[in-house]
Amino acid sequence: MVLEQTKTEDRAAFDEGPLEEILDSFSAQEGAVIPILQRAQQAYGYLPEEALRMISKRTGFSLAQLYGVATFYSQFYLQRRGRHVINICDGTACHVKGAPRLVTTLEEELGIKAGETSPDYRVTLEVVYCLGSCALAPMAVIDGQVYGRLVPEKVLKLVRELD
Amino acid sequence: MPDVHVTIDGTEIAVPSGSTVLEAARIAGIEVDTLCDHPAIEPIGACRICLVEVEKQRALQPACTFPVSDGMVVHTRSEKVVGARKFVLQLLFSERNHFCMFCQMSGSCELQNLAYKYELDHWQFNRPMPTYAVDASREYFVMDHNRCILCRRCIRVCDELVGNGTLGLKNRGADAVIIADLDVPFGESSCISCGTCLQVCPTGALMDRASAYMGASDQVERVKSRCMGCPVGCGTELVVRDGQVIRVEGDWDAEPNKGLLCVVGRFDPQHEVRERVRKPLVRQGDAWSIADGEAAYGLVAEKVAAAGDSVATVASGFVTLEEAQALGSAVRGRKFYMYDLPQTDRTATMADLDEADLFIVTEMDLSLDFQVAGMAVKRGVRKRGARLILVGEGENGLADWASMRVGRADLAKVIAMAKSAERPVVVSGPAGLAAAREIVSAVPAASLASFAPGGNGRGLCDAGFGQTYAGDAAKVTVVVAGETSQVEPGLLDALKKQEFVVVVASYREPWDQVADVILPMPTAFEKSGTTVCADGQAGQVVAAMSTRVPTLEATIGMVAEAIR
Ligand code: SF4
Ligand code: SF4
Ligand code: FES
Ligand code: FES
Repeated sequence: MVLEQTKTEDRAAFDEGPLEEILDSFSAQEGAVIPILQRAQQAYGYLPEEALRMISKRTGFSLAQLYGVATFYSQFYLQRRGRHVINICDGTACHVKGAPRLVTTLEEELGIKAGETSPDYRVTLEVVYCLGSCALAPMAVIDGQVYGRLVPEKVLKLVRELD
Repeated sequence: MPDVHVTIDGTEIAVPSGSTVLEAARIAGIEVDTLCDHPAIEPIGACRICLVEVEKQRALQPACTFPVSDGMVVHTRSEKVVGARKFVLQLLFSERNHFCMFCQMSGSCELQNLAYKYELDHWQFNRPMPTYAVDASREYFVMDHNRCILCRRCIRVCDELVGNGTLGLKNRGADAVIIADLDVPFGESSCISCGTCLQVCPTGALMDRASAYMGASDQVERVKSRCMGCPVGCGTELVVRDGQVIRVEGDWDAEPNKGLLCVVGRFDPQHEVRERVRKPLVRQGDAWSIADGEAAYGLVAEKVAAAGDSVATVASGFVTLEEAQALGSAVRGRKFYMYDLPQTDRTATMADLDEADLFIVTEMDLSLDFQVAGMAVKRGVRKRGARLILVGEGENGLADWASMRVGRADLAKVIAMAKSAERPVVVSGPAGLAAAREIVSAVPAASLASFAPGGNGRGLCDAGFGQTYAGDAAKVTVVVAGETSQVEPGLLDALKKQEFVVVVASYREPWDQVADVILPMPTAFEKSGTTVCADGQAGQVVAAMSTRVPTLEATIGMVAEAIR
């Protein structure tokens, strides 16, 4: 995973306010790095480089330590995410039932690879492994909503309907 | 602490409670193999090579982290232990590229040594192929992640000893990779090229550019010596192959640096690009010619003899006590100067830096000068939570460690803070000395660590070089430079105005701008003598290479001979 090269306009747009508040609320607690990262991610949708730098300065954790924590836990994102998140399951059952075709269809439609976000930040496409709904295979979760027995046409339609 | 009794491989011993099994085994004289463990840093139990069998424990335990308890019975060589260690080695060899015959570390590698010891003669699992890009973005050494065993020694020394906190680990499990900062190329990171990680890496993952493939550990000699790069006076181990120093390492047993070095001591000498002076050089107008010895020494003798008492001798920090004494007795009654005089009102030792709860650094950038002292400040801030106040404006490499920056005018604020600290230490260079003195005199608990450029500055002061050179006029000015490269422009300008300048130096630059004659001088690798380190103890500079360049004593002798 590489850190997103923050575009200049994003950098200028980074609003320290929310993080400032979060850091203040944790200022008495030493070593509260995971909750700080979680709250920062809630505030910004991901962990922007500027946020990591600010957290490092205020907590004394090195940049490398923060990066280590952020890449150790899959709950953290270092790249800005799309407004919509599509999780296509490619677990065993879904795979057998044609999940790879769903993935390639969406990759072509969106012009991005699985794991990436469209340049306009509309959609993030992710592949996950078994969401425990094998009876619905092949299935996907779009913005938290479960869709089962998908075929390429159906998944395309769902994605095109996203704003 | 009260002792506890443990039995290790059938030997019962008493060890202090709180010891680890590894420490207890060492007390009992039993060797337990280790890999991620390193004596200079805290154990973390990452590699599992040190697994031992502890009775009443279900699983094998890592000796380096497992604490002893009373009545504990430990087996370090049982069949189970040996089998587990072999398994761990198999896994380590299977994870990344350990085709030893193509590795520069082969023959000196701690991992390879263990493989021989445990008779690993084949790969039990996958044969790994390199999958990670080599990071060669750093000037002095290269990182090959494919040979990394994730022991984290490098991360820990950078954090615990250097206090820099550059290195870390991304991802997890077998995908973990050593990173710098936010996963940027090492050469673009906050790395200060101290090379401590390089020195502790047990495998071929970190590779020194200058000494790579120049000799394995049983083909080299190690000579303990001293760095003359600055007044910290770090203890070094010169790694020598066939009469050449191929690498410099920090001496773990030496005070005040305890194994650490900075880029000046570790890498600069190996990456020297200036032209060496091996024969006397004489200026003829704008050109230089290599003079035969007699002519050059004769010319110097003539000028010195004609100058009478009007001879000024200026020394750099690369002059040993013995050399200074030889100069003193040869040119008695004349004036002796140093580039810059060290401050003598120093009350803090380097050990005090490691106990300070407040550092006040006045008008000095410890990331550029006296770096090993800077590391003590950084680790104090990172590891002990000490505070750092920087006094003075301008860029400062320690700004990220500082909790406060104040201008020279705000000393009252600093003094107030120092008064509420328990063990404040003020660190200064020549520029900040007045401010430092002001603080120390107002705060009874404060001690002062002052540094001035020049490796052996204090020694030279003791030997009578008690004045700062300010361009004083003399008929002959003798500069004893050694290998110094950091020369202030002001000094060169002052020398340009002198009638006749003789420079005794290891390298031609920058002296060819100002000298009339340049005489050769051995480097600190080529001579033996005494230097005074931080805290005032003597350190021995020990010759690790032979040279045909005459010693300073011999040069003085030849000039004296020619005068007669
Ligand atoms: S680079 Fe060397 S010291 Fe650092 S984790 Fe890898 S093997 Fe250990
Ligand atoms: S701190 Fe000074 S003495 Fe130590 S290695 Fe650096 S230059 Fe040499
Ligand atoms: S394999 Fe897709 S839900 Fe189980
Ligand atoms: S030396 Fe004990 S786990 Fe590595």
